[in-house]
Amino acid sequence: MPEQAQRRAPAPEPEERPEASDRAFEELRHIIVSPEQEQIVEIRSRIENPERRVEDVSSVVAEAIQLRRQQGDAAALSDALAPTVEETLRESVRKDPHILADALFPVMGPAIRKSITETLRSMLESFNEALEHSFSVRGVRWRIESLRTGKSFAEIVLMHSLLYRVEQVFLIHRETGLALGHVTAASVATQDPSLVAGMLSAIQQFVRDSFASPRQESLDSMTVGGLEVWIEDGPHAVIAAVIRGHAPADYRVALKQVLEEIEGEFGAALVNFQGDTGPFRAAETRLETLLVTHYRERASSARRPWMAIAAGALLLGIVTGWISHTVYQNHQWSKLVRSLSQHPGIVVTSYQKSGGHWQIRGFRDPLASDPAGDLAGSGLDRRKADLEFAPFYSLDDQIVTERATSLLAPPAGVALRERAGTLAASGIASSAWMDRFYERAPLIAGVLSVDTTKLRNSEIASLESTVLTFPRGRSELDSGQQDVVARTARDLSAVRQYADHTSQQATVWIIGHTDSSGVESTNQVLSNQRAAAITVILVRDGVPKGVLIPRGVGTAQPLRTDPSEEAQHLNRSVTFRVKLSPVSAAP
Amino acid sequence: MESIFDEQYHTTIGVKVDKKVVSVDREEVTLVLWDIHGEDVFQKMRMTYLRGMSGYLLVVDPTRRQTLEDALALEARVEESMGPIPWVLVLNKCDRIAEWEVDSERIPSSERSREAVIRTSAKTGEGVEEAFSRLTRAMLHSPC
Repeated sequence: MPEQAQRRAPAPEPEERPEASDRAFEELRHIIVSPEQEQIVEIRSRIENPERRVEDVSSVVAEAIQLRRQQGDAAALSDALAPTVEETLRESVRKDPHILADALFPVMGPAIRKSITETLRSMLESFNEALEHSFSVRGVRWRIESLRTGKSFAEIVLMHSLLYRVEQVFLIHRETGLALGHVTAASVATQDPSLVAGMLSAIQQFVRDSFASPRQESLDSMTVGGLEVWIEDGPHAVIAAVIRGHAPADYRVALKQVLEEIEGEFGAALVNFQGDTGPFRAAETRLETLLVTHYRERASSARRPWMAIAAGALLLGIVTGWISHTVYQNHQWSKLVRSLSQHPGIVVTSYQKSGGHWQIRGFRDPLASDPAGDLAGSGLDRRKADLEFAPFYSLDDQIVTERATSLLAPPAGVALRERAGTLAASGIASSAWMDRFYERAPLIAGVLSVDTTKLRNSEIASLESTVLTFPRGRSELDSGQQDVVARTARDLSAVRQYADHTSQQATVWIIGHTDSSGVESTNQVLSNQRAAAITVILVRDGVPKGVLIPRGVGTAQPLRTDPSEEAQHLNRSVTFRVKLSPVSAAP
Repeated sequence: MESIFDEQYHTTIGVKVDKKVVSVDREEVTLVLWDIHGEDVFQKMRMTYLRGMSGYLLVVDPTRRQTLEDALALEARVEESMGPIPWVLVLNKCDRIAEWEVDSERIPSSERSREAVIRTSAKTGEGVEEAFSRLTRAMLHSPC
């Protein structure tokens, strides 16, 4: 080093005389030492000034780390940096988790998605299996088997439908028999892997010792009930797979491959294993690829379960039939109810199905038609009907009409019709019946008033159609009309009686007519005489005189106008007009 | 002690694997124990079971002198074939010390060995935890 050489130069200094050459020496010293001193000051300032030091280190720190890594001592570097990096990460998360979350997002998103997809897929698979086996003949058989054996249905399904399932995979350190890794299929009950791994190693060892073959062969597999344990030996590690069912031979190849990969990747860690299983956690994703499940192939389409399809079709048919029958029945019942409701005098207040019976409740007028008739006509089962109709008076027009008809018994030719509370009678009725009609009709339920404008009194009709004839020029009746006269008297009496009962007054015009022959003045007199003659007869027969008003009209109101003898004969007559009017206050 | 296996494994396979968590110097250490019966006239011990072990307890029944002899012989064999491995000599049945047959001078008495000898009673549990702790500590301090 040149610096060292320079340092050695001033060594002989004390041998020279100071007083003689002090000044020269100082000069020399200055010339020789000064650059060095400056450098020392410079160096010292670099060392003592932290800012300068930081500056110096910063210029080489990246290269230093790179160099250290190239020297193959990455582990020491990692060890040195790890705590700081960890602390930094922790601090970063504490301060603001978003920064790290954002940075990790591209990695975590797909990982989480994959995990969720995987979980869903396996869930769906087992769900499909369960569904498939739940609704088949085989499913029922398996349920029975499950009941018989006390095993869960899921277990039975698994037993029958599973070709094989790898339930657990152990990675075992060969030398120590310690478990390095352990993965299990979903919902598999497991024991402590370290104990199982130890015991497996012991058994391996035991078999190797007991049946040692010259080539140091080892235990390949064990069978325990429905489980098989397949063991694959490597130089430093052992993989043991616990399989339910019978795995195919090529699964052994998969075991070998994974074992080789692990031996390759973790070779050093396996050799230097001191009991820390941490480094082998990374191997578990490899082990998980060995957790496979294979179901039996589903029945091919060529072997469709015809029986099941037929049974299904039959069932479907029965259900459809039953539903249509029920719907039809319901329809029929509601039709019956509708038709009942349309009957006058029947009111349906409720209908409902209860215990297989149809309960129909309501009110029924005694005059209304019998619901049993409708029921019989509907074709429905009578025994299923439960009809309850309370009696009542219906105000339905038709029923009121019927009620009035049955109570008033109108004679032939008289019609009754009730509408909106008014009972109208039409036709020709005797005074006696009309009497009764006026008396009773207002008492009938549903009748508020009566209308008789179209009802004619039969006696009045009879009177007004009566014609008493006379010979020409005479005012004495043709012979042989005594009966007619008698009847006329009877009719008059009946009309008067009827008028009395109905608080009316009857006025009867006795109208005399003549034929068209002769002088009008003579005819007028003759017609007067004819009317008077009949009045006399009737008064004689007991008709009060005050009721009768004789009046001659001559030829003014001929019954017939044609010139025939028959017509002329009818015109030589007396006719009657009746007027009923309310009794006025005056007598 | 955590165990899932039956005692029968002893008579069939000759070993029973158990697990025990020991706390040493505030550090939890999980031990996987291979419980191996020593040799007797009926059963020969399988040395292969000892492969990969990190330490061992030699359990002696001092009421039967021969067991101590066997244990010491075994220790010598292990040392010979596998090198120095931490071990602890456990003198069981210290609750029946009156019946002991072993001569105290036969018990190893060097400084290291004194540390490695402990009296226990499987019956009362006395010293058992201590035996495991000592072995664990020795294993943690052992170079390999």
